Amino acid sequence: MTAEARPVVPEPRWGGRSLTAARAAAVLIALIAAVTVAYATQGQPVVVTQAVITGILTGGVYGLVAMGLTLIFGVLDIVNFAHGAFLALAMFVTFGLVAALGVHPYAALAVSVPLLFALGWVLQYGLLNRAMGGPLQNQLLITLGISLLIENALLLFLGANPRSAPLPGDRALPVLGAVADTSRVLAFAAALALAGALWLILTRTRVGTAIRAVAADPRGAEHVGVDVRRIYALTFALGTACAGAAGTLVAPFATIEPTTGQLFTIVAFVVVVLGGMGNVPGALAGGLVIGLTEQLGGVFLPGQSPMLPVFVVFVLALFLRPQGLFGGNG
Amino acid sequence: MTKTWIIALAASVTLALAGCGGSAPGGTSGGAGAQTGPIKIGSLHPLSGSSAADGQQLENGAKLAVEAINAAGGVKSLGGAKLELTSGDTQGKPNIGQSEAQRLIQDGAVAIVGTYMSAVSANVASVAERNQVPFVMDITGDDAILSHGYKYSFRLQPPTMRIGAESARHLAELSEQQGKPVKKVAYLHEQSAYGTSAMTGFREEAERLGITVDPVISYDPVGVSDLTTQITQVKASGADVLAVTGYYRDGVLAAKAVGSVKPGLDAVYGVADGAFDLPQFPKDAGAAGEGFFDVNYRLDLNNPETKRLADTYKQRFGDEIRTGAVLAYDAVRTIATGLEKSGSRDPKKLRDVISSGSLPSMLVGKGPVKFDATGQNVNAIPVMMQVHDGAVQVVHPKEHAEPEARPDYPAAPGS
Repeated sequence: MTAEARPVVPEPRWGGRSLTAARAAAVLIALIAAVTVAYATQGQPVVVTQAVITGILTGGVYGLVAMGLTLIFGVLDIVNFAHGAFLALAMFVTFGLVAALGVHPYAALAVSVPLLFALGWVLQYGLLNRAMGGPLQNQLLITLGISLLIENALLLFLGANPRSAPLPGDRALPVLGAVADTSRVLAFAAALALAGALWLILTRTRVGTAIRAVAADPRGAEHVGVDVRRIYALTFALGTACAGAAGTLVAPFATIEPTTGQLFTIVAFVVVVLGGMGNVPGALAGGLVIGLTEQLGGVFLPGQSPMLPVFVVFVLALFLRPQGLFGGNG
Repeated sequence: MTKTWIIALAASVTLALAGCGGSAPGGTSGGAGAQTGPIKIGSLHPLSGSSAADGQQLENGAKLAVEAINAAGGVKSLGGAKLELTSGDTQGKPNIGQSEAQRLIQDGAVAIVGTYMSAVSANVASVAERNQVPFVMDITGDDAILSHGYKYSFRLQPPTMRIGAESARHLAELSEQQGKPVKKVAYLHEQSAYGTSAMTGFREEAERLGITVDPVISYDPVGVSDLTTQITQVKASGADVLAVTGYYRDGVLAAKAVGSVKPGLDAVYGVADGAFDLPQFPKDAGAAGEGFFDVNYRLDLNNPETKRLADTYKQRFGDEIRTGAVLAYDAVRTIATGLEKSGSRDPKKLRDVISSGSLPSMLVGKGPVKFDATGQNVNAIPVMMQVHDGAVQVVHPKEHAEPEARPDYPAAPGS
């Protein structure tokens, strides 16, 4: 396998951190400028406030969904087309538990996260590991197959009717004249917590060090005694467990259908590339940038697809920094 | 290296699909020559993908119609020949719909029903025209398809523009009656031909009646995951009523956003909306959806035959019937009646009989199913519905309303 070395987090080489900080500052300044212009040119400040709040909250959700994807992409070099299907699976698990047992939707995390972790482990260990080192499109086709299998199994056994798993006591919290739903605020908070937890695992634990070693150079890692196949399975499982958490957290404000996951993954792929492949905090930052771009784009260009400003920003970012806004310097 | 492969793969998949779609009749007008055995009717709906819930309802409706006709002795003028439904899954994609239509026709289908989605129907209509096989549309929002002068395309649902205009009239009338005449309407619609033509029909008529329509906000139904900002914009505009045209998922998002923002409206008013009149909408939207209106075509529950169909549907599929299933049911009946009258399996003769015939409809209408020169069913009419205590009821006009059902206006949402 001729994987280019893709650092999971920016390497702490001299100047690396301050450069990342400088880029983050530049992005922040650009966003603040856009918001200021919006306030100055739009007649109704409350609309802009709402756009910013909605942008931050949906951005957090995009980041949440993209985290697992970026981890898998960064370490295993697998473009995981099944991510949306994993998300949908977690949503249906959540719906099932809420409908059958009447539990609180968030209690479903106790089932969806371990379940998706186990599923990820089994798929990587039993299926994808055999394709590692082969041509990259093999892995891509396997994940595409898995996604078709999961989505159509959901369709076949559970039907296409939309379902919902509302959060008890979900209400609109007033924020500076605008509103934010409790369920979305909690999902945002969970996105921050999850990003923090993943970052700690990757940088502060032995297992995280092993994951980063495998990402940088699988053969080298093997030579120093890392069980590469186990690390592959573990990383894929961590990624799918993230999808499990995201699915349950998103379920209260999404319409649950076998295809719901796809809705988020289109954006998630953009977020992964924008944030730097394999960079977990970068995914969160990328998510926020995309969420805000989408909402502010709607304010500036009413009636256009939200994807238009998103892809303008995306193409611009790729042109200026092909390795992603927060990717490594290599 | 990696990227080259991915791009190559994506390109080859696209090419393969396009290859399937490039279908010319090539002189083979299908296997319609089969003079014995069951008569095949093609059914094309999105059975997978994001519109699968509606697609399966339509498919089930068509299935029930075929079963009912066969149980009643098949097509008598053709020696009691049985009907057979041959189905294709469009996946909601125009190119797949096109190749599936070609496949069904080559397989010997004498007519096609479908397809729920405008972009798919547009392609299927041209395939049907080239192959001279009647295409009876159950649901298809785009009015432009029938403006091409096609001879083989028919549509059961009323034109979306007409629903828009009718909605504006109903709203003006109702609000006047209740002593709170509407002055300003904000319009939120999905951005394709369906949402735009509903909005255009509504705006033209509303402006004629002295109602301002502003702001008009459109969104992309595929990618949207939150409509709070749009509803905030509606609130800031000071409109009396919010009119909405969209699909199911975005309709629920709009209802939830209305519940959160509390825009202080007299009513939320669907115009041919794909969410507000569905049986599961009140449950998915919760309290936020109470009192929502929708003006749309509707199954006629005052017709005992339709009532019986609704009961059969529930028994058979364990689900509430939607209006779409009744439209598909009527589309198959239209074809069966045509076969009965023409006494022939020839699609061309079938087309002539369908275009001149009429059939008692199971939809709310002002008369039987009957097509004008463009192929539009002239007698389907939209009615006004409202969510009352967690259920959708027809509330206006009185002669079609469900017993005891009255419109509540103003119906301040999100309160």
